[in-house]
Amino acid sequence: MEENGLKRELGLLQALMMGIGGTISAGVFVTLGHAATLAGTSLIIAMILCGIINFFTMLSYAELGAAIPSAGGEYTYAKASLGGFLSFATGWFEWISNMFYAAFCSVGFAYLLSYVIPAINIPLTAVATIIVFSVINIRGVKETGLTQTVLVIIMLGILGTFVLWGLFISQNAGPFELKALGGFFGVLKATAFIFVIYLGGEAIGVAQAEIKNPEKNIPQAILLSSLALILIYTIIAYVIFKIVRPEDLVGQASPLAYVAEKFMGPLGIGLITLAGIIASLTSINTSIMAHSRVAYALARDGYFPKSFFILHRVYSTPVIAVLAGSIITAALAATGIVNFVAYASDFGFIVGFIFVNLSLMKLRRDQPNIYRPFKVPLYPLTPILGIVTSLFLVLFLEPSTLLIGVELFILGLIIYYIRMVPYNQVRLAVGGMNLGVSAFSGLLAYLIISNSISISKSHGIALLSSVVAIFVSVTYLLAGVINVIRNNR
Amino acid sequence: MVRIGKAASIIGGIQCGLGGLVSVVAFLIYASSSIRDVLAITLEEVYLHIFLFLVFGIFSILSGLLLIYGEGSEG
Repeated sequence: MEENGLKRELGLLQALMMGIGGTISAGVFVTLGHAATLAGTSLIIAMILCGIINFFTMLSYAELGAAIPSAGGEYTYAKASLGGFLSFATGWFEWISNMFYAAFCSVGFAYLLSYVIPAINIPLTAVATIIVFSVINIRGVKETGLTQTVLVIIMLGILGTFVLWGLFISQNAGPFELKALGGFFGVLKATAFIFVIYLGGEAIGVAQAEIKNPEKNIPQAILLSSLALILIYTIIAYVIFKIVRPEDLVGQASPLAYVAEKFMGPLGIGLITLAGIIASLTSINTSIMAHSRVAYALARDGYFPKSFFILHRVYSTPVIAVLAGSIITAALAATGIVNFVAYASDFGFIVGFIFVNLSLMKLRRDQPNIYRPFKVPLYPLTPILGIVTSLFLVLFLEPSTLLIGVELFILGLIIYYIRMVPYNQVRLAVGGMNLGVSAFSGLLAYLIISNSISISKSHGIALLSSVVAIFVSVTYLLAGVINVIRNNR
Repeated sequence: MVRIGKAASIIGGIQCGLGGLVSVVAFLIYASSSIRDVLAITLEEVYLHIFLFLVFGIFSILSGLLLIYGEGSEG
């Protein structure tokens, strides 16, 4: 399918705000406390280290975004260089991550709002927020960009007030000293822990088909936003440690609000809560835009249903892709399972980082002559460092995060198989798996009945389990036989 | 042949139902400590059980849908 209809309506400022607003989320307001206990005042070093790690991969985004300015971001880069299942997997994780991230931010937004209006219902507020931003996203990319710009400017204004007021108050507080509470390893652990606060800037790449003058604006917006984030985060951390000791932040639900209260009083808490609320909203806005454009690009190449490629007649936005993704996002938000969605989105974003750097290297080797308005300096050092540092972050992920990642990978593999492999082969494969499940369930039933394994402390539950296992075994045996004998029809 | 098609649809429906039930159990394991107690699942094993239940649930739903639509489109 040809890609046409998306309008290039975002200028450099809006693209920059997409990057900054998509990255600064409510997470920033809560993660600093634990990070400070790991690294002490050396959290500033961890902040800069994180920013540099992020910058390595953002250089790759800048080169690829300017060279291939089509919708889909990482997925489009992987499609042009790696192809096949790897490109699908990149798009799959990007799509899932952005939906999960939007769900995470909407629940975070509802929690923050509940500090101001305690009577609100958290899941309902989260779902309502997603509906509002889905409508804005359907209404047009210009409206999305304008909403984002206004919100990010207000948020930066509040953070700027916090920084300037804090610097003014603390000018006689004595010299600043770097101290690492947990030593060098503590700084590394803090680096891995706070890396999530740099995730989200790749949304510029996803929306690149709607950015004006892409050759200049895409690399400029990506690189400027990642540099601005290093500056913003480092200054905030500096002000925090000029006002309080790292030990004081232990157990604080919102360390930034705690520090703000120290020198601004109740006004500080109000302002920082408002900044957190706005940060959540900008992240939701960016994530909805990102997941819909990835789904649109996946449909363009036949991986997702064709309806996801349909654009709204008046607004020229991928209306079905926005709606489908937002329904899943709202369902996730309604469950209120914050940890699960946060872990899943972290995993997906980090996998995306690895694939983008690999795509850059593959494309440089296979298509050295394509027009590249921007080229990463010190190639191949920066993409290699991007891959190594991303793998380093994977090592620090919780085991549960890795398990969720594997689950999502398997789900993606099944969908890819069903969409891309001939029907007969799929049916034969599923039939074989059905027979395998049948045999396993039969064995399980036998082991439970013969008391070889203990399923539960309760005898009744064990008996029920064996009956269920026999039922599953028979059902899957029949399903397997039907799939195998009828796959050639 | 029509009978096989009907049987396939029923079996497919059962598979979808089983998949849905197992996915709900996966969620309950995550959300309810009393369910974890009944099933004798320790805290360390929670994510492993959720993983296994979700994989089975998703596979079961997809397999059921394949049977229903496969036979429906051919029959």
